[in-house]
Amino acid sequence: MANDSDQTHQQQHDLIGSYFLDLWRLKSQTASASHSKDVNMTNPDNEHEQLEQDDDDDEPVPTELDTLNSSGWFSIVLPDKLSVKYPSVNLHGHDVGVVQANCPAPVKRLFYYFEMYVKNAGAKGNVAIGFTNEGFNLRRQPGKNGQVVGTVEKDVKGRLYPTVAVHSQNEEVSVNFGKDPFLFDIKAYEAAQRAKQDTSIERISIPQTASYGIVRSYLQHYGYEETLNVFDEANQTSVPPVTGFHDNGFNEHAMYALNHRKILRKLIMNGQIDDALRNLHEWYPETVQDDTSAICLMLHCQKFIELVRVGRLEEAVDYGRNQFEKFYNLKQYEDLVKDCATLLAYGEPSKSSVGYLLEDSQREKVADAVNAMILSTNPDLKDQGSCLHSYLEKLLRQLTACFLQKRLLNGNQGEAFHLQRVLLAKNS
Amino acid sequence: MIRLLFLIHYIQGTSKKVITREDWEKKLNDVKIRKEDMNKLVMNFLVTEGYVDAAEKFRMESGTEPDIDLATITDRMAVKKAVQSGNVEDAIEKVNDLNPEILDTNPQLFFHLQQQRLIELIRNGKVEEALEFAQEELAPRGEENQGFLEELERTVALLAFEDVKNSPVGDLLDISQRLKTASEVNAAILTSQNHEKDPKLPSLLRMLIWAQNQLDEKAAYPRITDLFTATLEDPAV
Repeated sequence: MANDSDQTHQQQHDLIGSYFLDLWRLKSQTASASHSKDVNMTNPDNEHEQLEQDDDDDEPVPTELDTLNSSGWFSIVLPDKLSVKYPSVNLHGHDVGVVQANCPAPVKRLFYYFEMYVKNAGAKGNVAIGFTNEGFNLRRQPGKNGQVVGTVEKDVKGRLYPTVAVHSQNEEVSVNFGKDPFLFDIKAYEAAQRAKQDTSIERISIPQTASYGIVRSYLQHYGYEETLNVFDEANQTSVPPVTGFHDNGFNEHAMYALNHRKILRKLIMNGQIDDALRNLHEWYPETVQDDTSAICLMLHCQKFIELVRVGRLEEAVDYGRNQFEKFYNLKQYEDLVKDCATLLAYGEPSKSSVGYLLEDSQREKVADAVNAMILSTNPDLKDQGSCLHSYLEKLLRQLTACFLQKRLLNGNQGEAFHLQRVLLAKNS
Repeated sequence: MIRLLFLIHYIQGTSKKVITREDWEKKLNDVKIRKEDMNKLVMNFLVTEGYVDAAEKFRMESGTEPDIDLATITDRMAVKKAVQSGNVEDAIEKVNDLNPEILDTNPQLFFHLQQQRLIELIRNGKVEEALEFAQEELAPRGEENQGFLEELERTVALLAFEDVKNSPVGDLLDISQRLKTASEVNAAILTSQNHEKDPKLPSLLRMLIWAQNQLDEKAAYPRITDLFTATLEDPAV
C-alpha cells in the first residue's frame, strides 16, 4: 500500500519536474537563438525580441507585380514593377492583359488592402482590379471591375493574389501595395472594424467578481501570501466589501502550505538556495528524496548559478564538480547542465548566450517548480494538472487555443491572440 | 482621374469539426503563457483597481514592476473613498489638488459629482440647502445641456416623495449611485495619468467567452464555462 502511494508520488514529481525542465529548455533555446541573432545584427531591435514567438508579422506581403507570369503580349509591366500598360497596338476584344502581384495577400490578419491608380483609361476604360488564385487564367478579366470602393468577405481555401488587368488600347494603371500612402483611410477602417469587434466583446457579460476570484486563486497558487492577505483585507474593508468570490472552496489548493511556499519562494528569489534546500528536506523530504530528480537538478544548478553571480568562481567549480557529475550521466539533463557550466567560460556571463541563467526569471522558474512540487504533496489533491497551472493560466491557454483553432479551421486566415500585445497596448 | 480600391475581409465559413478532449489538451499544452506576463496582468489589475498595498506586496513578492507610480494610487483611492462615503465636497477638493484639469475638461463628471452632492444633501434631510444648491450650482448647467437638465429634474424629484425609497427615483439614494459616481471619478483620474481606466483581466475574460462563441460555430471542443474554476467541459456531440 505504502509502496503504491510512493509510486504515485514519484510519478507526480516526475511529471512536474519534467514540465519545468521543458520550460527551462525552451528558454535556453530561444535565448541562444536570439543571442546568435544579436551577434549577427549590428542594431538589435529589443522591442521585436519581446515578441519572439510572434511570427505573424513575418508573413510576406505583395510588394510589386509579377513580371514572369503575366499574360505576355497583352500587357507590359513597366520597369517600376508597379505599373501595367496595354500595348498601343489594336488587339482582339478577348485579349485581356492580367498581372498578379509577386506574392499572395497575407492572411494572418483582420484584412488586406491594396489600391490601383488608373493613369490612362484608354479607349474603352476596361481596367479591372481584384483577387485571383494561383491557377487563374491570365487572359480573363479578374473578379471586380469598375470604380469600386468596397469589401469582399472571403472564405476561400487557398491563397489569393492581388491582380489588375488592362483590356483596351493605351490603358495604363499602377498599383499601390502600401509603399505610397493609401487614398483610402485604411487606419480608420481598421479602427472601425476593431471597434465593431470590441463592442461585441464588451457586450458579453461575465460575473462581476470573476476577476477578483481569479487574481485571488493566482496568489494562492503561487504562494504570494503577503499579497493575498493584504488583498483580502482590502476587499473586506472596502465600501461595500467585495465578496462572493472566496471561501467557496473553488481553489483546490486554497491555503495548503501557503506559508511554507511563501518562505521557499522568497529564499529562492533571494538566491539563498542552501536555506531553501534545508527547509525542503525538513518540511517536505519526499520532494527532494531522489537526489537525481529534476527538482534537485534545478536547485543544485541554481546554487551554482548564484555562486557565479557573486563571483565565487572557485567555489562554483568545486560545487559543480561535486554535484554535476551525477547529472551528467543522465541524458535528459545534459544540455541544461552544460548551459550552467558554460557560465564559467565567459568574463561577462550575463552578456553570453547563457546569460538568461542570471536573470530573475530563472530563479522564478526554480521557485515555481518547488511551489508545484509542494502542492503535489497535498493529500487532498484530485487533479495533478492543478499543481502546474493556475486558473489564470488555464483561461489564457484556452483563449489562445481558441484563436489558433479558429484560424486553423479557417484556412489559416485571421489573427492570433498574443497576450504580450494586449499587455503592451494602452487604453485597450 | 479614377482610383480603384480593393479590400478583402477575412470571415468564417460554416463546416463544423469535432475536437476530442485529448486532442484539445494537446493543443492547450502547446500554448505557452509566460509567468512574467501573468504577473504583469495581476499587477495591472491590482494597480487599476486601486489595491495599493497589495500592489506593493506583489511587487516585492513577484518582482513585477507596476506600470504606474504607486503613490498616485493612494491619492486616487482617497478620492474614490470620499465619494463612496458621501463626502463629495472633499472628493472635489482632492481631485482639484491632484490635477485641476480633470474637472475643467470633464463637464459631465463635474455635473455628476455636483449631482451626487445634491443627493447627499437630500439624504441628510437638508432640504433648504439642497434647493439652494440645486438652483445656484446645478440649474445653470442644466440650461447648457438637455441631458443634465433631465438628471437634475430627476434628482430634485427626490424631495417630492415622502417614501423616497419606493419612489421611481429611489435608485438615486442607493449605494450603487455612489459607486457609479466613484468609478467615474476613478476612471477620469486614471485617464489623466495616461493610464487605461479599466484593468485588462476582465476584458480578457470577455474575450475568452467571445472566442469560444466564435469557435462554437466551427467546432465542438472542450469549453470553459465556469470562469471561477476554469474547468474544461467535454464537447457536446
